[in-house]
Amino acid sequence: MRRYNKPARIAAIALAASIVVAACGSSSSKTTSTPSSTSPSTAKNGGTVTLLMGTAPDSLDPGMGYTTQAAEPDWLAYTGLTTYAHANGSAGGQVIPGLATALPAITDGGKTYSVTLRKGLVFSNGKPVKASDFTYTVERAIKIPWGGSGQFITAQIAGATAYSTGKAKTISGITTNDATGQITIHLNSAYGAFDNVLAFPSLGLVPTGTPFTNEPNNPPPGVGPYMITNVVPNASFSLVRNPKWTSMNIPGIPAGHVDINAKISSNIDANTLSVLNNSADIFDWADTIPGSLLPQLKSQASDRFSQVDLGGSTYYIFMNQKAKPFSSQLAREAVVTGLSQPAMNRLGSGTLAYGCYFLPPAIIGHPSGTPCPYGDPASGGNIAKAKQLVTQSGMAGTPVTVWSETRQPRQAWMTYYTSFLNQIGFKATQKVIADATFFTTIGNLKLNPQTGFADWNQDFPNPVDFYLLLSGAAILPTNNQNFGQVDDPFINAQVNKLGAVPTSQLSSVAGQWQALDEYTAKKAYVAVFGYQTFPKFTSTRINYGAAIFHPVYGWDWSSFQLK
Amino acid sequence: MATTSATGTEFSGETAALLAEGEGLPPGIGPWALAWRRLRRNKTALAFGGLFILIVVVCLLAPVYSHAIAHIGPADETYLSKPFNVKTQEFAVSPTGIPIGPTWHSRFFLGADANGRDVAVRLLYGGRNSLEIGFVATMITMVLALILGVWSGYFRGISDGVINRFLDIIWAYPAVLLGVTLGTVLAVGGIGPLHGTALLVPAIVIGIVYIPYVAKPVRGQVLTLREREFVDAARQQGLSHARIMFSEILPNLASTIIVFFPLILANAILLEAALTYLGAGVQPPNASWGTMISDGISTIPAAFHNVLVPGIMLVLCVLSINVFGDGLRDALDPRAKVRIAH
Amino acid sequence: MTRFIIRRLLAMILVMFVISLLTFLLFEAIPNGDPALRLAGRSATALEIQEIRHKYGFDQPIYVQYGRTMKNIFTGQAYSYTQGFNVLDEIRSGLPATLSLAFGAGIIWLLTSIVVGTLAAIKAGRYTDRVLTVLAMIGVSFPPFFLGAVLIYFLGYKANIFPLGGYVKLTANPVQWFTHLVLPWFTLSVLFIGFYSRVLRSTILDTINEDYVRTAKAKGLSERQVLIRHILRNSLIPIISLWGLDIAQVIGGGAILTESVYNLHGVGQLAAESIGKLDIIPILVITMLTAFAVVFLAAVIDILYAFLDPRIRLAA
Repeated sequence: MRRYNKPARIAAIALAASIVVAACGSSSSKTTSTPSSTSPSTAKNGGTVTLLMGTAPDSLDPGMGYTTQAAEPDWLAYTGLTTYAHANGSAGGQVIPGLATALPAITDGGKTYSVTLRKGLVFSNGKPVKASDFTYTVERAIKIPWGGSGQFITAQIAGATAYSTGKAKTISGITTNDATGQITIHLNSAYGAFDNVLAFPSLGLVPTGTPFTNEPNNPPPGVGPYMITNVVPNASFSLVRNPKWTSMNIPGIPAGHVDINAKISSNIDANTLSVLNNSADIFDWADTIPGSLLPQLKSQASDRFSQVDLGGSTYYIFMNQKAKPFSSQLAREAVVTGLSQPAMNRLGSGTLAYGCYFLPPAIIGHPSGTPCPYGDPASGGNIAKAKQLVTQSGMAGTPVTVWSETRQPRQAWMTYYTSFLNQIGFKATQKVIADATFFTTIGNLKLNPQTGFADWNQDFPNPVDFYLLLSGAAILPTNNQNFGQVDDPFINAQVNKLGAVPTSQLSSVAGQWQALDEYTAKKAYVAVFGYQTFPKFTSTRINYGAAIFHPVYGWDWSSFQLK
Repeated sequence: MATTSATGTEFSGETAALLAEGEGLPPGIGPWALAWRRLRRNKTALAFGGLFILIVVVCLLAPVYSHAIAHIGPADETYLSKPFNVKTQEFAVSPTGIPIGPTWHSRFFLGADANGRDVAVRLLYGGRNSLEIGFVATMITMVLALILGVWSGYFRGISDGVINRFLDIIWAYPAVLLGVTLGTVLAVGGIGPLHGTALLVPAIVIGIVYIPYVAKPVRGQVLTLREREFVDAARQQGLSHARIMFSEILPNLASTIIVFFPLILANAILLEAALTYLGAGVQPPNASWGTMISDGISTIPAAFHNVLVPGIMLVLCVLSINVFGDGLRDALDPRAKVRIAH
Repeated sequence: MTRFIIRRLLAMILVMFVISLLTFLLFEAIPNGDPALRLAGRSATALEIQEIRHKYGFDQPIYVQYGRTMKNIFTGQAYSYTQGFNVLDEIRSGLPATLSLAFGAGIIWLLTSIVVGTLAAIKAGRYTDRVLTVLAMIGVSFPPFFLGAVLIYFLGYKANIFPLGGYVKLTANPVQWFTHLVLPWFTLSVLFIGFYSRVLRSTILDTINEDYVRTAKAKGLSERQVLIRHILRNSLIPIISLWGLDIAQVIGGGAILTESVYNLHGVGQLAAESIGKLDIIPILVITMLTAFAVVFLAAVIDILYAFLDPRIRLAA
């Protein structure tokens, strides 16, 4: 299996890394409400399109699904209290009210979030939505458990830990009133990104009484423009338009134009050719166009293919601050100085956007105008300088083990990196770990891994989601995410302070985030080697201009329409 | 008959086992001179035997080629970040990840792979590893199978029962699945002091998989040998069991061993490639023909040479072993005379 | 006879037990292979992992875990930990593709190897025989994934004659079903043709020298009659029993390479994908299924042989 049909090479960026958020919602300005029945006359409705996915979703049940492939459909079938605007670019990163009438009112120093549920909401099975369904949904996500529940639910919502461990029968921090639709959530401490948390599809409401088990093949009813049906595990599933959606009239969340038949086929070459010759319609955004077919696409499909930097994910090499040789800043600088990003890009079929900053371009705080401290990444590494830095650091000849995943191009990146480390004076060997156990392996502190591959794909567009990976508080004995064990007092303090700022006020602290990110780059704590660009590629049947490439979810399936 | 159990290429084990059992190799010492004469007459077998030796020699010369001719190591990725041809400013891999094809230069003579490494150099080093794994695995199989087969056939009784069940278990375990499962576990964890990336890991896995295919026929042969007069005579002379097994039984198994060796070798090399394709064989940065093929498969439309070159080498090598082994078996099997006469 | 069957049955149970235990223990031994860690996801907290461990019973002694897993498998309640599906349902849904591959290829390789093997035997030692020998050897020397990749490249990408892999249900579109399976059939058959024809050739050559054949010839029957009525009929018995076993193996997921390279989504590919994900339950079930098929059919064939050939005693 693994090769011809290389499962979406870059694709599942989201082993767990995930992008995931919830669906729907009305734009705050309440001006963009366009349910499909009233959509502009240019939009054609009806029909079925075929989407090819290289990697199957981990689970289509919102209570479990955590990968990009799961979030993509779940976003449209399970709307949360908040959701994201259906728009391209940074506009799409904006949180809007979903099933709630407005964005949450934040009181008590950022610790209490209150919302009111819209009137007249029904699940796709016809059952009316109650405020208490929210509590049930959260409890279900804890019990299944959803991959993000530890970080985003039990750690944040008051009383959720007691519920999770069985000490409490319900979550004391959530109070609801079915009559008025009032929902109040108390947090353990101020957590600025909680608006984003509410938008996760995993917190998209499901009816009370849905089993507390993962139902990947028979996803529960939800509230959203689409319903997920006909699930054949690892082979296909369908998104059909929810007939009950338009009557709910939720602003900002348009109904879909077409039904979508998603087929899972790990042969990316075949998928590319199928979309190119119109035997399928949509190429999944998380898959990578094979480099060998790029020239053909550029010449034959320039009007329906482009590589888009969604700006929400970073590829980097972690370097362990607590072990030789990367305890030395000079040794780390050597890596950042010498590693050639163009070479890495060749290995990635030319799909990387160059950069040296940990925060990717679409995240607030990304230092867009500031030059990189250790040379322009696009010009290729300076090997001579790097060799000199290694000698200067006194670490020449130190043995280094490079940890790598099996899947391509990640493995190829680390093979090159190993060869590079040997070139600049270390004694490097490579250790390849099965994809399924890679992050748990390098997340084991006892192993104390020296260096290797790492990536992060935003859970939501908020810099704190990235900086959690570099905060001292995130160093854990197992499932550690701060692989390089960065524990810098300045970073820790800033993350604490800036992390409490609500998402809606992020722009007020953009300068401080930027200063922090520049500091991280200067210290060479991680070797960023680029941001992934994603293919926006459809058949000629699809109205390419109208199709939305969403910064959080990739394809917005509700924007697909036939010409 | 051709006992080409291609387990490595998804033949069922039972196919080979049944054949091996029905094989009926000669019980006595074959007339070696006669066998040699027969083999010499089989020009096809000799030609392929020569081809195999040529492949082995060329692969052993890998470091010479690498240092003296290509001037690039098997894991060297230098030309990913700098042009290998100063004049044309050409890189080993294009900006969209397409490696260059064969050239008329000593470096990148057979082109580059997706990592910008020299395919010719890797082909030779990879061949060394494939052959090394094949030989080591075959040795493991032969030694363990002989010990188990001779022991259970000679002593019979309880140990025979236990060993037989053990062989049944390995035999009934789907070969590729057993190999991949073992390989995955060991590649992640290593065995004791053995690093998971060591070449010995796939060799051990493959060696284990093939044990029953040799041990079962050996056992059958020992069962008849132990009833023969010369063994009885040795026993009456008061020779120890160990002595009898070594000096009386083992020499009589020589033709069986010789027949099985190329058979297992060919299949071990194929199984190595299969395991690697499924991600449980040779680990990077080590190369083998299997890793080269499976890495190359993802770039087939743009760089077919990445699959073709190691694939042809692999097929040629296995083919030469198979044809030579077939000739060897014909030569050692007295019934072959009947066939030729017919 | 009854005793033979009972002994074989006991041996079969023992083999399956040990194989399942072995697989189970192998997966236990994977460092950091704790399924709880994978179920919990990348950013799980220690508490959450503990919860999962408890919920799935990973904190219980290993023999309890083994017992529960076996019970789930035999009651049809075996669910993949990380992929969520019911393993038996999943195998059932992969079976049409695998069966199509197995029987299609099986018929091709059986018929072709009978023709090739017989021809080689008749022309033994002559030029035709030499050529067929080398061709057979080439067939068994090809790794299926290499052959598959080459065929897809030339006949799929370049010539555009066949699709680039995948499986279409026979009921959905018979023509598509056929075109999607031609290359997999061929790839899988090549191996077996090379092997079976060699086996048949030597069996025929052995049979030719049997007394009854000589008698038949002496009676003045024509070469053709002798070949078909006496030689071929007897030589085909071992071939067909082998065929049964090989087909069983392929159905049990044995064609893991062919299925993977052609992306057929059959049982073999399910096994391969599950190994990649270190997902123990599907691997366990498929392994046991194949082992069962192999051991069971081997016993059946032994019994059939005993009926067909009274000279064979049913020794254990």
